[in-house]
Amino acid sequence: MPEENPDRNSHRLMEIGVPLLSFGGASLAVIFWITGATIDFRLSILGCVLGSWLLAYLAWIQPKKDIVALTTPIYSFIFLAVPTDNFSAVILELLYAGSLTILLVRLKYRFSKPGTAAHDAKELAEPLRTYIEQTRDIWSGTSPEAAHHATVAFVRFAEGEFGETARRSGTAAGQPEDAGNAPCLTRAFMIVSEHATLLDQSLPRPATYRTFLPEDSGMLAKPLPPAQDDDAGFYTTLDNALLLLFSAAWSASEADRPHLLACQAFAQRLLSS
Amino acid sequence: MKIGNVDVKVSIVAIAVFVVFTILLIVASVYSPEVRSQLIWLIPALFMLLVIPMALNYMSRSQYAEIEPIYEAQAKTVRVKMINENMIGKIVRIEGVVERVYFQFLNRPQYLVADRSGEISVKMFTSTDEDVKVNDVVEVLGQVIRRYFVTGDPVINCVSIRKIKKA
Repeated sequence: MPEENPDRNSHRLMEIGVPLLSFGGASLAVIFWITGATIDFRLSILGCVLGSWLLAYLAWIQPKKDIVALTTPIYSFIFLAVPTDNFSAVILELLYAGSLTILLVRLKYRFSKPGTAAHDAKELAEPLRTYIEQTRDIWSGTSPEAAHHATVAFVRFAEGEFGETARRSGTAAGQPEDAGNAPCLTRAFMIVSEHATLLDQSLPRPATYRTFLPEDSGMLAKPLPPAQDDDAGFYTTLDNALLLLFSAAWSASEADRPHLLACQAFAQRLLSS
Repeated sequence: MKIGNVDVKVSIVAIAVFVVFTILLIVASVYSPEVRSQLIWLIPALFMLLVIPMALNYMSRSQYAEIEPIYEAQAKTVRVKMINENMIGKIVRIEGVVERVYFQFLNRPQYLVADRSGEISVKMFTSTDEDVKVNDVVEVLGQVIRRYFVTGDPVINCVSIRKIKKA
């Protein structure tokens, strides 16, 4: 049974908290108004203020920031500071609570796409985790040195340091075969080295390029497109090579995992696009 | 309007502001002798509403023109999919189709440019040399930045956007 992520649970609670607090405050205002209570109406507005802060926090933790949701606390303070009569306060609070709920729905569906929150994660997210687990056994004989080369090559590529990637991958691909590395890892290094060199020199796609062998197909993350689509084949080969490097680095070099986690969003993007 | 090698463009908003205040000034000066006596500084102030945006546009465009060759030399041609938050600060060149254009009327255009691998926002903080429209195929040169400078997803701070062929 999959483990429940405590972060996800607390986020869900906070998401429920936004309409609960804001409509709770608005309901209090309605009660005050109906009963004619002599309590300061601004007490009920506190629900909307807290709801706004919660919404702003939820917007802040998304990698894709929603500036509208982030600025709602400012509006709530203006709302709190400006004195209004009781009836207007009730209408305003109901409208404000409704707006916060709409913004929450917008935040959830437009700004929290799966996989985009990977940059600050402490563990691998799906579907990358499944791919790593599927390919884990291949890397049992991989040397720590080769795994570290894989980390550096992947991280440098993600950073756009293509010259450094080409050098590192070239060095790793030239290691002797008896080092225990899987042959597909050597091919992945060669492919990444070739692509990084082309990118570093801003050269176009060559007519012929390095590819994986048919026996590697079981280890590749993405199926190759039809042979007639050369462009797609060229770029899918690169994606597969980079993901193989990520998998080898993750499985055979535990010390490098923090660096790989920092580039997880890029790996997820390669895998899911 | 061309000043030196720089084609200065004033946004429609600046022109609209100038027109509105001109009408206000004409109406006010017809009805108020007090306003008429102040025309000696009100008219230059009115023209400043056009001159200041023009000067700012000239300065930003001449600065962009200066840095464009530097960017041209440093840029790496990448696909949109490769641009990620680890590339913040890197100078890149992308080619793609313009899917959306925003804020062109403010002289601060923002484009959504897509290639076969994905799409990315391209922000420009001055007007462009060419009139870029939806479906134009363009080459974009710029630096990867965060959408809100310190936070947000990666976008391109565009230094030049050129049409490379008609759609």
